Amino acid sequence: MNLTNTQFVFEGKTKRVLIGGMVLGVVCLALSALNDDEYHTRFWTNFLHNSVYFTAVAFMAIFFLAAQITAFAGWMTVIKRIWESMGQFMLVGLILMGIVAIGVWGHLHHLYHWNDPNLNITDPEASHFDRIIAGKSGFLNPVFFTIATVGFLGIWYFWAYKMRRNSIAQDTHETASLDYYKKERKWAASFLPIGGFLSAVFFWQAMMSVDPHWYSTMFSWYSTASAWLGSLSMTVMLIIYLKSRGYLEYVTHDHLHDVGKFLFGISVFWTYLWFDQFMLIWYANNGEETIYFKERMEHYPVLFWGNLLMNFVVPFLILMRNDNKRKFGTMFFVALIVFFGHWWDYFYMIKPGARTAAIEAKELAEAGQHKTGQSTTTDTGITTVLSTAAGEQADAGHAQEPAAAGEQAKEQPDATHAAEQPAGEAPHGATPSEDAVAHPPAEHGGEAGHGASHGEEPGSFKLGFTIPGLEEIGVMIGFLSLFLFFFFSQLQRASLVPMKDPYLEESLHHETGAMIESEGGGHAHH
Amino acid sequence: MAAESKKVLYGLYNDEEDLKGAVKTANAAHLNIMDVFTPFPVHGLDPILGLKESRLHILGFIYGACGATFGFLAMTWIFTSDWPIVFGGKPFWSVPAFIPITFEMTVLFAAWGMTITFYTVCGMWPGVKAKTLDNRITDDKFCIAFDVTGAPDSDVKNLQGFFTNTGASEVNVKMM
Repeated sequence: MNLTNTQFVFEGKTKRVLIGGMVLGVVCLALSALNDDEYHTRFWTNFLHNSVYFTAVAFMAIFFLAAQITAFAGWMTVIKRIWESMGQFMLVGLILMGIVAIGVWGHLHHLYHWNDPNLNITDPEASHFDRIIAGKSGFLNPVFFTIATVGFLGIWYFWAYKMRRNSIAQDTHETASLDYYKKERKWAASFLPIGGFLSAVFFWQAMMSVDPHWYSTMFSWYSTASAWLGSLSMTVMLIIYLKSRGYLEYVTHDHLHDVGKFLFGISVFWTYLWFDQFMLIWYANNGEETIYFKERMEHYPVLFWGNLLMNFVVPFLILMRNDNKRKFGTMFFVALIVFFGHWWDYFYMIKPGARTAAIEAKELAEAGQHKTGQSTTTDTGITTVLSTAAGEQADAGHAQEPAAAGEQAKEQPDATHAAEQPAGEAPHGATPSEDAVAHPPAEHGGEAGHGASHGEEPGSFKLGFTIPGLEEIGVMIGFLSLFLFFFFSQLQRASLVPMKDPYLEESLHHETGAMIESEGGGHAHH
Repeated sequence: MAAESKKVLYGLYNDEEDLKGAVKTANAAHLNIMDVFTPFPVHGLDPILGLKESRLHILGFIYGACGATFGFLAMTWIFTSDWPIVFGGKPFWSVPAFIPITFEMTVLFAAWGMTITFYTVCGMWPGVKAKTLDNRITDDKFCIAFDVTGAPDSDVKNLQGFFTNTGASEVNVKMM
C-alpha cells in the first residue's frame, strides 16, 4: 500500500493565523466585558457559551468514534485520526469549564440564578425563598456543578486519551497482533455508557440550570444532538481543508458521502428533538415550562427561527440529494452553516436565560435595598403562581380556563409591544407597580413584559443577547482558533493513517455504491 | 406486454469481482449485454454497466410533497370548518399539533407512491409469472445474460468464447 503524505505538518503560517484569531477572541471578550452590565453577563455568557459548545464538539467527536469502533465500522478508519485529535480538545475544555466553576464558587458571575450569593434562595425563612430552586438544591449547588462539569470532563478526557494512545501504539506495534487495537475497542465500548449518561448531567448543569425553574426531559438529547452536528460539520470542513492542503488523498467522495449522510440524518434527528421538546411543552401548557418558549418566540424571534432555518431547512433541502453530499464545495458550504447554526443554537439556549437571571438578580438586589416590605412581593408572587397552578389543577376539565388563557396569550404580544421601549429610557428605580407582584417576571409564568419599572426590560433588543453582536462573532473566531490550534498540534503527533488498524483496507476501498454520472463513473479515485 | 419468446444466452460466475471484470471486458469488446443478475447489490456495477441513476427518488420527493400538502390541508379543513373542537384550549388552527400528522402523511404518500410506481415500472403485480433465468442467481451465482434471439451461430460462439475467457463457471441457453 502506497499512501503518501501521511504526516501532517502544522505550518508556521497556519499557526500565525490561528494565533491571530485567538488574539481577536481575547480582544472581543475584553470588549464584551467593558460594555456590560454590573454582573458582566455578556462576558460570562460568551465565555460559557463558547466553552460548552467547543468542548461538546470535542466530546461528540470521541463519542461518535467510540460508537463507530464498537459497531465494527470500517469505513471511517481513514478519518479516525481527525476524531481522535478533535477529542483531545477536552483537555482545554477542562480548563475552560474550570474557570466557569471557579466563577460559581467565587460568585464571579451571575449565570446561574440558583447560585445567587445574596438571596438565600433555599432558606425557607429568608425573604427570597424559592421553593422550586430549593427543591433542586441537592443538584443545583457548587459542589455538584463542579463534579458534573469539570469532574465529568476529566473522566471523558481520560477515556479520549486512552483511546488515542492505544490507537497510536498499534501503529508502531512490532508484531502482527492487534493487542492495542483490542484495548482501544474496550475503551471505546466502555465510553459509550459513560459518555452517554454523564453528558446528560453535564448539559443540565452547564446550560439547563441557566433557567433553573424550567426543565425539559428532552434537553440533554437536544443539546447532545446539537453538539454532534457541530462535530460532524467540523469533520467535513477539516477533511476538505486537509485535502486542499494535499493530505488525505485516499479520503474519497465516498467517505465524504457517508459523513454527509450522518450530517443529514442527525440534522433531521435534531429537528425531531427540537420539535418534540417544543410540542410537548406547547401542548401541556404548564406555565413554568411554556414561559421558556413564549419568551424566546416573542423576544428572540431571530434566534428562534434562525435556529430552525440554519439547522433544519438548509441541511435538509441541500443534503437531500445524493450528489450534493459528494461535492466538496456544497458540503463545505452546508457544514459551515450547520456549524455556525449549532453555535447559534447554544447561544439560544444560554443567552436569554442568563440575561433574565441577571435582570432578576438586579431587581431583587434593588428591592432588598429599598425595604423589606417591597422585597416580600417576590415571595408573594411565587406563592400566587403556585396557588394558581394548584387551583387550575383542581379546576381540571374546565374548558373555559385554558381557552381564556389562550386568548390572553393572543393578546399578549400587543401588550408587550406597548410596554416595549428602549432599555435606556425605561424609568429607573420607579416604585414597583402592582404588576411587579408577579415578578420575577420571566421565570414564574408572569408576563414577560412587566419588569418595565426597573432598568432593563427583558424583552427589549440588546445586542449580544437578542442576536449575536460583532464581539460574539469575534469570540467565536477566537475559540475556533483555539480549537483548531490544539487540534492541529495533536494531529501532527501521529500519522494521519492508522497504518495497522485492521479496518484500514476496508476503509481504503470504501464505496457507498452511489452512482454519480458527473463524477465520470464515480470511481476515479481508486 | 405480449408474450414473445426470447432466446437468452447466459453465463454464471462464482464471484462478483469476476463478474465486474467480465462486464468491463464485454464493454471493451462492444458486446451488448441484455442484463446482469446478482444475489445482492454489487457496489460499482451500475456505472460500468452504464445504467442511469434511477429517477424514482424524484417521484418520491413529489409524492412526499403531495402527502405533506394533503395532510396539512386536510387537518386545516377538518379542524377549522368541518368539525372544530377545542383541544386543551388551543386555537382551532394549531399548527404544531398538525406537524406529526403532516409528517406521517408525507411518509405514507412517499412510501406507497414509490412502491406502486416501482412495481408498475417493473411490470410486477399480483399473479404475474416470474421469469427467472436460473434459480441460483438469487443465491450464490452472478449472471450475465445476452439476448441471442435470431443471432447467427458465429455470434453465439463468440459469446460463448467470451464467457470461457472471463472465467464463467457455466454457460447455458434458455428460452423465455
